Amino acid sequence: MDPKLVEVTQLFSRFKAAFARNDFDTSVGLLSQLKVLLTKFPSLPPSFQQTPNAVEELKIARDIYEHAVVLSVKIEDQDAFERDFCQLKPYYMDTCDIIPQSPEEYPILGLNLLRLLVQNRIAEFHTELELLPVNALENACIKHAVELEQSFMEGAYNRVLSARQAVPHETYVYFMDLLAKTVRDELAGCSEKGYDYMSITEAKQMLMFSSDQELREYITEEHPEWEIKDGCVFFQKAKETQPCKEIPSLQVINQTLSYARELERIV
Amino acid sequence: MAAAAVMVSSASGLLAMLQEPAAELKLHALANLNSLVHVFWPEISTSVPAIESLYEDEEFDQRQLAALVVSKVFYYLGELNDSLSYALGAGPLFDVSDDSDYAHTLLAKALDEYASIRSRSLKATGEEEMMDPRLEAIVERMLDKCILDGKYQQAMGMSVECMRLDKLEQAISRCDNLNGALSYCINLSHQYVSHREYRCEILRCLVKIYQTLPNPDFLSICQCLMFLGEPETVGNILGKLLSGSKDDALLAFQIAFDLVENENQAFLLSVRNRLDTLSLQASAQALPSDQTDNAATESSGDAQMADNVVTPNGSVHTVDSNEVAHADRLTKIKGILSGETSIQLTLQFLYSHNRSDLLILKTIKQALEMRNSVCHSATICSNAIMHAGTTVDTFLRENLEWLSRATNWAKFSATSGLGVIHRGHLTQGRALMAPYLPQSGAASGGSPYSEGGALYALGLIHANHGEGIKQFLRESLHNTSSEVVQHGACLGLGLAALGTADEEIFEDIKNILYTDSAVAGEAAGIGMGLLMVGTASEKAGEMLAYAHDTQHEKIIRGLSLGIALTVYGREEEADTLIEQMTRDQDPILRYGGMYTLALAYRGTANNKAIHQLLHFAVSDVSDDVRRTAVLALGFVLYNEPEQTPRIVSLLSESYNPHVRYGAALAVGISCAGTGLSDAISLLEPLTSDVVDFVRQGALIAMAMVMIQTNESYDSRVGTFRRRLEKIILDKHEDTMSKMGAILASGILDAGGRNVTIRLKSRSKHDKLTAVVGLAVFTQFWYWYPLTYFISLAFSPTAFIGLNSDLKVPKFEFLSNTKPSLFDYPKPTAQQTTTASVKLPTAILSTYAKAKSRAKKDAESKALEKAEAPQSEDASTATSMQVDGGAEKKAPEPEPTFQILTNPARVVPAQEKFIKFLEGGRYEPVKLAPSGFVLLRDLKPTETEELVLTDAPATQAATAAAAGLQGSGASAMAVDEDPQPPQPFEYTS
Repeated sequence: MDPKLVEVTQLFSRFKAAFARNDFDTSVGLLSQLKVLLTKFPSLPPSFQQTPNAVEELKIARDIYEHAVVLSVKIEDQDAFERDFCQLKPYYMDTCDIIPQSPEEYPILGLNLLRLLVQNRIAEFHTELELLPVNALENACIKHAVELEQSFMEGAYNRVLSARQAVPHETYVYFMDLLAKTVRDELAGCSEKGYDYMSITEAKQMLMFSSDQELREYITEEHPEWEIKDGCVFFQKAKETQPCKEIPSLQVINQTLSYARELERIV
Repeated sequence: MAAAAVMVSSASGLLAMLQEPAAELKLHALANLNSLVHVFWPEISTSVPAIESLYEDEEFDQRQLAALVVSKVFYYLGELNDSLSYALGAGPLFDVSDDSDYAHTLLAKALDEYASIRSRSLKATGEEEMMDPRLEAIVERMLDKCILDGKYQQAMGMSVECMRLDKLEQAISRCDNLNGALSYCINLSHQYVSHREYRCEILRCLVKIYQTLPNPDFLSICQCLMFLGEPETVGNILGKLLSGSKDDALLAFQIAFDLVENENQAFLLSVRNRLDTLSLQASAQALPSDQTDNAATESSGDAQMADNVVTPNGSVHTVDSNEVAHADRLTKIKGILSGETSIQLTLQFLYSHNRSDLLILKTIKQALEMRNSVCHSATICSNAIMHAGTTVDTFLRENLEWLSRATNWAKFSATSGLGVIHRGHLTQGRALMAPYLPQSGAASGGSPYSEGGALYALGLIHANHGEGIKQFLRESLHNTSSEVVQHGACLGLGLAALGTADEEIFEDIKNILYTDSAVAGEAAGIGMGLLMVGTASEKAGEMLAYAHDTQHEKIIRGLSLGIALTVYGREEEADTLIEQMTRDQDPILRYGGMYTLALAYRGTANNKAIHQLLHFAVSDVSDDVRRTAVLALGFVLYNEPEQTPRIVSLLSESYNPHVRYGAALAVGISCAGTGLSDAISLLEPLTSDVVDFVRQGALIAMAMVMIQTNESYDSRVGTFRRRLEKIILDKHEDTMSKMGAILASGILDAGGRNVTIRLKSRSKHDKLTAVVGLAVFTQFWYWYPLTYFISLAFSPTAFIGLNSDLKVPKFEFLSNTKPSLFDYPKPTAQQTTTASVKLPTAILSTYAKAKSRAKKDAESKALEKAEAPQSEDASTATSMQVDGGAEKKAPEPEPTFQILTNPARVVPAQEKFIKFLEGGRYEPVKLAPSGFVLLRDLKPTETEELVLTDAPATQAATAAAAGLQGSGASAMAVDEDPQPPQPFEYTS
């Protein structure tokens, strides 16, 4: 067997061990070593050279990145999640002909969808969805995310919040927690548009805060333009809608006249 | 295993990898991105800021790779400026030898950028613009690569454009074909370098290289030096060559002829003076018997003298013969440089080869109404142009009574026309004009009009070679108070002393100007301009001030043209003056401003000038200014005649007739003598314009374009000739267009059909006299006598081979094409007679040719027995045709070549077909297809057979001048008829 592959395999088993005992610091260190080692394999994307060990290499690389994604969820690092997922994606998209599908594929894709939902990147969410084959939509993990998105769009926020109880995979919990905040932001945005002001109690209930203190903190942090007085929250109307842009009539007239003049000169 | 073509579907993985903290991963991602950028650039473009930040990260050790990737992405996005700046950042990673679109595009961009920075820094000499050293490095890398790969022309072109003379020098010196490279560079500098100073710099650099060669090409060096205006160096070279071998002397003569062709009088004069001082020094040193102390000789010539002394190799008895030979050569070369030799030879050629068709003139004369003086003087003018330089004035002599109908200014024109006919007749000129000239002392018998005309005629005869006549003209100017005579004298002086900037003459003419007489003042203005052509002296300011003072429009017009002439060819130097004149309130001065633009930027195709002219052509309020602006385009563009029709095509459809007229003349001027098809197509509709003066302009322009092309070269020439005839014969045609048609007939057959209008000499320099002549010619719009200035633009289309004695030996060469293509046009047949004779039979063209020739022969037979057997053949052939009544015989196929005999007519379009035969007695010093060519005699021991031995000029006689003895038809012997068809077997 290729010594490089052996080295990676050994390192990977150490990583998995550390990962299993939730020793995240060690895992992260090992992971970055693994990634560097992976760049030495020419069979991996984007070059896809057909080396004799290509299948093994691809498989182990995919495995490593899948673990990396899960690890990033565990350490609650969204940037790392996105990075690792992007690097993992070619293994799902472009290697179907070389290696068999991974059992982790749909859970991770679903996880990614959920992340996009959490980050409120709806456009990208749908882009990703479009890229999936039709039968993938049947998968519980994907379905979960799709349903969440639908509820989210409908404004059925209670359904979104209650869905936390029915996660298809234990890694989803982290994102479901985050989703609550996204929902809150949405609610805040809607309230701002819908009302001129709202009493503190109502606002507290609406934005799902248990205490006034939390509400105040939220407002100073996220919406400094709101104002609290007389027991009410005043939503500063978003700046007066700008008057529709002035038609540059003078300029247009001048231009037309000069065209006419030029035409007259030449013809 | 998987399919071979597995590709990633997205670069997002790699882009994500860029965010990884580990540097190895970033590097890996970058390297992969670099190879995939051509596919994924749309995806990468969103992450460009990330890569840019990598480039800016000082810690990152592969910054250049990042820059390269960014540069490529920008390239695909079409942001070439950003792309270039990052490519510069990529340093050595940017591969100049890469054969990709990316590399090519960026290299071109880099060159452009570099060249534009260089040229900007040249213009703004004060503050040096920051030059990116990396850019410079790339360009240098590229130039070095071109030189290494042997793409010398490319390298030369680039270094010229980038103003890197050091690299240019390097490229040239590496090149195997040195002379080829140098002449390529000379061409390059004339065609593509628009900045005058820089062009001089290039030429100076070239001359430097030339001088280092073991066998320098003196012809080219001297051309360069002439452009640079360094007569001393040219004089030194000529002096050296003259004291060398016989071949060297021939070369010196050739150089002299080439220099003369460029018509730079002042320059030639300095060369001559230089030769004089050189010979003085040489003779002082070369006499070993009396070693006089040479303290008097100038130290500047020391180096040169040393060279001269070596050649007479010391031995006493050879010194004398060498001395004699040298002195002989010196007189010859001075003769050439003074222009007399070439003028003399040209005169002989034009006289002996004159083929003008008097019948055309006769038709015109008969068709015209008696009282129409415009057409009358146009006819006289047309005759003058038709016989320009031939000294043939038969038509005038035959029609003395008709001629006498010219009165007042028409008389002035008629008299000055003689000057055109006798142009270049330097020796006899004054004698010829004597009957008309003002008689000194005695009370003037003749009318002032003919006296003035005669002075003007003297100027035309001596144009640009007025050494001998200047004094006489000045005296005449002093002795008269008639403004008509002053008018003629001012023009004459201006012509004779063209471009000499003679202070005394200038003062004389200025005094005339200050009399503030309209008629004389106009001529004075033009005369001052002619005198100061191309000097850019501050006299222009003086003239401009007076133009503002005076009330007479004529004077203002004359002055503004004069001012324009002073800045002839000065390009950027004239910008202030141009600005001043084009901003003036007086339309006449703006009109002069247009001429200033035209002449300052003559033949440069300078974009700025074209732009300005086009602007005035469409925006000025005065029709005169607009007309002139369009017309001026012709002058600016004459070095690229193919461009002109395209540029003025829109203007030629203008609603404004003045603009259309200008467009016609612009094409006429810039495409003169080319027979360019586009030009003819543009002019054709204008010849039937609704406005009479547009027709006039178009007809004249058409004639200028078609001069010396015949019907078999372009069938439209025949159509045009018939159209001219129709216009002239048409009773209802407007006078204006009739006059145009008459002048056009003259121009079409100018100079006995042996001259063309040529604004550039064969060595691609502009011909000062010709350009100035055409510029003043265009003034005929206001003043008909100025029409004669067109004669200055005529240059003979001849190959004249000369031996070392500057005599014309018998020499044959080949024109490798059908003779009919460049033949003289057929003489017009007298219509009344021909119509009755040969109506019924269908006539083949060769038959018709033979027949008309036979007819001519038959006419001449009445006078003299036919001595030429060919004409016998032809006439028998004709009679057989008539008797047989059938044309079964196939016409003899035309030969595909033609042997020409020295001196021969070689029209410009024919030049590329000229071949010199091997193994003859003579060998040309320079392989030029036309012009004066010195011939090296390979068998000097045998006796030479000469043609054109005597000056034919002596045979000429003027209408009123005392009869000059006619002798010697030897010159005529050269002029043979075209070969008749070969004898044939007739079988039925």
